[in-house]
Amino acid sequence: MMRMAKKMSKDKKRGNYLLYSLVFLVLGFIFAFSYRTLGKDNSESAQSPTFQQEEQYRGELIAQKERNKELADEIQSKQVEIHKFEKSFSENEDNHSFLVNEAKDLRLLLGVIPAAGSGVRVTLMDGDYDPVEQNPNDYIVHESHVLRVVNELKISGAQGIAINGQRISSNSYIKCTGPVIKIDGRTFPAPFVIEAIGDSEVLSSSLNLSGGVIDGLVYENIVVTMEPMRDIRLPALRDES
Amino acid sequence: MTMWLPLLGLILGVSLGLLSDIQIPQIYSNYLSIAVLAALDTLFGGIRAHLQQIYDDKVFISGFFFNIALAAGLAFLGVHLGVDLYLAAVFAFGVRLFQNIAVIRRVLLSKWSERSKVSETKVQE
Repeated sequence: MMRMAKKMSKDKKRGNYLLYSLVFLVLGFIFAFSYRTLGKDNSESAQSPTFQQEEQYRGELIAQKERNKELADEIQSKQVEIHKFEKSFSENEDNHSFLVNEAKDLRLLLGVIPAAGSGVRVTLMDGDYDPVEQNPNDYIVHESHVLRVVNELKISGAQGIAINGQRISSNSYIKCTGPVIKIDGRTFPAPFVIEAIGDSEVLSSSLNLSGGVIDGLVYENIVVTMEPMRDIRLPALRDES
Repeated sequence: MTMWLPLLGLILGVSLGLLSDIQIPQIYSNYLSIAVLAALDTLFGGIRAHLQQIYDDKVFISGFFFNIALAAGLAFLGVHLGVDLYLAAVFAFGVRLFQNIAVIRRVLLSKWSERSKVSETKVQE
């Protein structure tokens, strides 16, 4: 009887140890697990992952834009260098002056170097209107108006054109985006100042043809001013965006 | 040999917890902290009871698991009721933890002073 009791108590003790080991297993697991998950959470993901990703993308975009700007500047300086080189070349060899002049003209057309000279400046402004009674669409400058002026200028032999300081090349596009227009991806609001280098007399008279571009624009309630200019300076084409 | 079984369990548990690749969402971290507190509380309660010679296996082991479950359940209920009930659990367990540790310290201190007294009397003899 005594032995049985002793054995039972021994069994009980063994069972207790097993239970203790279970308790300690759970304890250790909980401690280690919370240490691993919570201790890490505080340091790393204090900010949400989407925010971090957004921040990273923004940084990359800024870096990329800066790089683009640098490269565009480099291209511009290189073009100026080439131009200088060709100039010196033409001084040396008169035979090639014709080719160099042609290259200059083509370059002006492409807009890769700054241009200066006489020409005209056309300003397109929205007409005055009462927004309550009238449809503003009939009074604001649309991209089609700008396009008409640009096309007319091109036809009449303008060597370089810029809208609000943005050089227009043969690859440029003009897009309507609501009240503003987009030129090569850059947004410009009214009024639009279109500057063109060329024979200012030819340019102004072709714009002023009766029933021509300016008449049409005035008919569509747009305030057009045109002035011949002695000295117009156009910046080089920049399309970094 | 059976003495080392709990230690083995502890090591096993720690390694399991460190090596397991389970990720719990941030929302449930409250439950985990509550469970940690409950486990600590029960552990120190057990040590205190042992020192005060009122220790009982059943109370300790059942209390260990029951407290963890109760605390997590309370936190769960609190989240679903919109009341921060887990704060109550943190408070209760925190207070009890400190009380238990204080009692353990006092018991140990009194034991130590008794022993030093005994040794002093021995030296005097």
